[in-house]
Amino acid sequence: MTERAEVAITGVGVVTSAVIGDSSALGAFLAAPPPVDDVLAAGAVAALVDPTEARRLSRVCQLTIGAARIALRESRLDPSMGLGLVVGTEFGDLASTHAFADGFLARGPAGLSALLFPNTVMNTMVATTAIAVGAREMALTLNAPTVAGELAVTRAAAAVASGRVPAMLAGGVDELDPVVERELAHLGLGAEHRGEGAAFVVLEPRVAARARGATVLGEISAAAWRALPARPWGVGRARRSHAIRVALSSAGARPTDVGWVYASGSRDAARDRWEAEVLRAALGKKALVSSLGQQLGRHAGLGVLRVAAAAWTARSGLLPLTDGTARVEQVRPGRGLVHGLARGGAHVALVVSAA
Amino acid sequence: MKRVVITGLGAASPYGAGVVAYWKGLSAGVCAIRDLTLIETDGFRCRIGAEVAGTLAGSTRRTRADRLAIGAAGEALADAGLAARDRSTAALIVGAVGGGMLEAEAWYWRPTRDGARPRTLRAVLPSAHAEAVASRFGIGGPRHTVVTACSSGAVALAEAAELIADGVVDVALAGGVDAITRICFMGFNALKLLDPMPCRPFDRDRRGMSIGEGAGFMVLESEARARARRARVYATLAGHGMTTDAFHVTAPDPDGDGMVRAMRAALQLAGAAPREVQYANAHGTGTPQNDRIEARALARVFGEGGLLVSSSKSMIGHTMAAAGTLEAIATVLALEHGVVPPTANLVTPDPEVPFDCVAHASRAAQLTCAVSNSFGFGGQNVTLLFRRGVA
Repeated sequence: MTERAEVAITGVGVVTSAVIGDSSALGAFLAAPPPVDDVLAAGAVAALVDPTEARRLSRVCQLTIGAARIALRESRLDPSMGLGLVVGTEFGDLASTHAFADGFLARGPAGLSALLFPNTVMNTMVATTAIAVGAREMALTLNAPTVAGELAVTRAAAAVASGRVPAMLAGGVDELDPVVERELAHLGLGAEHRGEGAAFVVLEPRVAARARGATVLGEISAAAWRALPARPWGVGRARRSHAIRVALSSAGARPTDVGWVYASGSRDAARDRWEAEVLRAALGKKALVSSLGQQLGRHAGLGVLRVAAAAWTARSGLLPLTDGTARVEQVRPGRGLVHGLARGGAHVALVVSAA
Repeated sequence: MKRVVITGLGAASPYGAGVVAYWKGLSAGVCAIRDLTLIETDGFRCRIGAEVAGTLAGSTRRTRADRLAIGAAGEALADAGLAARDRSTAALIVGAVGGGMLEAEAWYWRPTRDGARPRTLRAVLPSAHAEAVASRFGIGGPRHTVVTACSSGAVALAEAAELIADGVVDVALAGGVDAITRICFMGFNALKLLDPMPCRPFDRDRRGMSIGEGAGFMVLESEARARARRARVYATLAGHGMTTDAFHVTAPDPDGDGMVRAMRAALQLAGAAPREVQYANAHGTGTPQNDRIEARALARVFGEGGLLVSSSKSMIGHTMAAAGTLEAIATVLALEHGVVPPTANLVTPDPEVPFDCVAHASRAAQLTCAVSNSFGFGGQNVTLLFRRGVA
């Protein structure tokens, strides 16, 4: 799905160990990124929801609802006018799944929790968030390794551009899970920097946003997703990116117009190398690349955070470097690329522009 | 917007491999719900379900769900006659819930049982099916995996239809898959939603659902592309609606508002009047609440009477993420053959269900327009509207 109507970003919500807040908080962080932890503090999560929700909802659902509400608040959008929801996640609510299974393993059928069972289905974050914010249009959970967040934004942008849904909340969320970390290490993938958190953007047609007096934080000029050939969970060899080509072409941009890129690098050496080769083949060597995953750790929320960060760069002309120096580079404002490439070949490209 | 037609079908169902076996079982009203053999059922009130019979496609190193998906996807691609070049740009949308959970459970269970940890954990995540199918068949277009609980397979078809209608791709492979898992079986037991006997949708004395497993895939194309290559067209996917209740995580909105909005959105997109729809393949799980609310929603949209309604779940159980696609295939085949598959095990029709639910035996009917409903946990509602042939 490529662009038709211009899609505006009118709200940002981020809940990570590095930053919790809206587009202003994210901008402040990006302008002077301090060292951060990978794990969100317990108190920070609890503060996002009311006590009743905190008792009733799993931690990953609390992260999701917290970030979605921040984004919606910044946008000042009324959900009753028609709001859809797309959430990308790699692992869903694995903690509840473990707890559900552990109940059975400890006590047999008597140990099963009817309350935990719905959380074992990956759409539990969408279900609880839709209730919390009153999203009654289409609501999707997209599951993909590495690029679930970017994919959610791309899918939501398509829904807005086509006019099928008046506005969309698009987000990503994951939490760190000890079983996953142990098994990834067992598979030799433990070097990747993984993190946790949730991030959302509110998307709506630019015309509608302007008409209601909303602040437009940036635009998604075009977005595309394709797949590069690769074995499941493997790294491929193909470098020719149809996703980038389609996104640039739809945005009316040439490869040389792209001065900066937010890429999905996260210290997964083989995958990062593949992504660098794909970007070089599509854009040449001049585009400056920022890989926030190197610093913040990869999770599905980061893909959405990178879209919000791209809108900030398009506005400010500043790009956080992620080579360990915690510097910010002056770049050409205007428009840049958000890129994601996953093991297995899922591949997303979004052109993000200033309003 | 481009018109979307169906040119290929594939199924792995409790009747075995293939669409022919699937339709033969459905149209004959054969209930495939039996004692479960894939998982342990000791200590549970319900011990039955609908398992896929026969040998599965693909390598034994793959998960059961991957193998179900590969079998059904391969059949759909072959049925549509898609060459490697067509597949290289085709979209692939998969609806999934359990992923490789059946094998992951065995892996997770084992240290508790005998202290050993198997060496390799196979692909667990729902997205693994799309990767396996894409890798096996060389599908290189847009690819994503949707998880909307029990409506996932129907959402996958709606997603593919939007990609084609919007001109992103001309052809897509889309469907849903799930294998029976312990967590699913135990969870529905914990919720007391499983009937110890084969489920009886729309029966006054229904007591819950039966779980099942399977995979269904369709090849969807733009009408222009299908015409140009003179492909066989089963049906037109003329409309769809996707809505959310935003009401409760496990219970549907008691007024069925979300369901009504999904059905009306499908009608609107198709430009169809309610009276044009002759058959509804219902979500029809067999739980007292779901069937009552769905019937109420159907009556609000289509009026009481008139419409023929049946539930495939009475024969193949609730196949979770596969249900939306397998039931869409049943709807397409009902249009194609002019035969409405029945609702099995329906002895005493519920007086609160104001429809002919086609008890026991299939019914000949000249159908031109039908809908398939799918509703999932979280109030995730989908309606697909099909017209016979090229509408």
